[in-house]
Amino acid sequence: MEINIAGLKKYYSEKIILDINYLCIEKGTVTGLIGPNGSGKTTLLKIISGLDKDFIGTIKYDSELLNEDIYKKMTLVTQKPYLFRRKAYENIEYPLKIRETDKRIRKQKVEEIMKRFEIGDLRDKKGHLLSGGESQKVSLARALVFEPELLLLDEPTSNIDPESMKIMEREILRFNKEIKGTVLIVTHNIEQARRVCNNIIHLECGKVVY
Amino acid sequence: MVIDIDYIIEGFKEAIQLLIGFDREIYGIVFLSLFVSTSATIISSLICIPFGIHLGIKNFKGKKAFSRLLYTFMSIPSVVVGLVVAIMLSRRGPLGTFDLMYTPKAMIIAQALLVTPLILGLTYSLSKNRGKEIEKVGTTLGANKFDIIILIIKELKVDLMVNVVTSFSRAISEVGAVMIVGGNIKNRTRVMTTTISMMNSMGDYSMAIALGLVLLIISFIINSVIYSYSGED
Repeated sequence: MEINIAGLKKYYSEKIILDINYLCIEKGTVTGLIGPNGSGKTTLLKIISGLDKDFIGTIKYDSELLNEDIYKKMTLVTQKPYLFRRKAYENIEYPLKIRETDKRIRKQKVEEIMKRFEIGDLRDKKGHLLSGGESQKVSLARALVFEPELLLLDEPTSNIDPESMKIMEREILRFNKEIKGTVLIVTHNIEQARRVCNNIIHLECGKVVY
Repeated sequence: MVIDIDYIIEGFKEAIQLLIGFDREIYGIVFLSLFVSTSATIISSLICIPFGIHLGIKNFKGKKAFSRLLYTFMSIPSVVVGLVVAIMLSRRGPLGTFDLMYTPKAMIIAQALLVTPLILGLTYSLSKNRGKEIEKVGTTLGANKFDIIILIIKELKVDLMVNVVTSFSRAISEVGAVMIVGGNIKNRTRVMTTTISMMNSMGDYSMAIALGLVLLIISFIINSVIYSYSGED
């Protein structure tokens, strides 16, 4: 899996938000996306994930243009995740349910990931009643439970305690190493970028600086 | 000026006697009212809730104009709906062959049409404001369009229930449409609102008060159930 972006331009009204001539995100890497606010990082993630389809240029995923089947192989975790108004367990189970995963396997996978994220105590708590840090952990667990090929993260560890951040970083790296998943992570935390990323892309005013 | 309130008190006493004595005519009217309004609300909800959600989250050309038109129809007078349905179902009308005029079925059709813009409009507005966020999450987790509509219904179920109850309240309390297409025929199409209206013009207040009380009790029960349900959530 490799993402090739060519001639990407994104406008809001008449203002250009993204202007990327060429960018390649290699398979099996953890790529950090850094840059000041308003440099187009979140917009780029939205475009790759299919949430924003109003752009100029081409984005290829393994030499195939982005399409509905490809979008199903990736997922996006945002800075302020929306959790469903149901139990944390059911939130995490949701991606497996819509993929019609066998009930027994579903249970096994959800239990396992909850254990790894150390969120067993949140099992029966309603998603919309969780704290910010708890929501971010549940949200990342929900994204990883179906083992996507590409994980897009938009500041997933902002405003959480160091212990939770450690757990989340550990799970992102585990996903990358064991499942061979590709990760594209937006972060303002340079230390974090150094800890978890193989490559770093710096965006400024919508352009790739290095 | 001397105010004679004896006839009002007398009316209340007789009304309570009719209710406690399980007067067959009164309970027949109550059950028909509930049957007609519940059926109309269910039929309309089954169609309008998924459709309203779909329209709410979808971006399409002329969405603003559509919103205005839909919100205008939400307050359509019930007599206008009754008139339109009567024209369609009358013998000379396009659906006259079905012989539905002055039947409970005609009343259900009229009330379903009456509450359709209300359920559609409320669902559309709710989905436009809160459905997009849910759609985004569903999409990023791999849900298809059908999964997303089901997800939004589940996420907004309390608000949707309140909308359905609001629409049911409109249906059960309207008089114009059921009067025109039902005809207020005794033991056949007579419902609470048409009976109250008729009894009032006849000066027979006991039955009118009894049915008024039943309408209030129904409204109270439904609202209590909804509020306790939404409180739980």
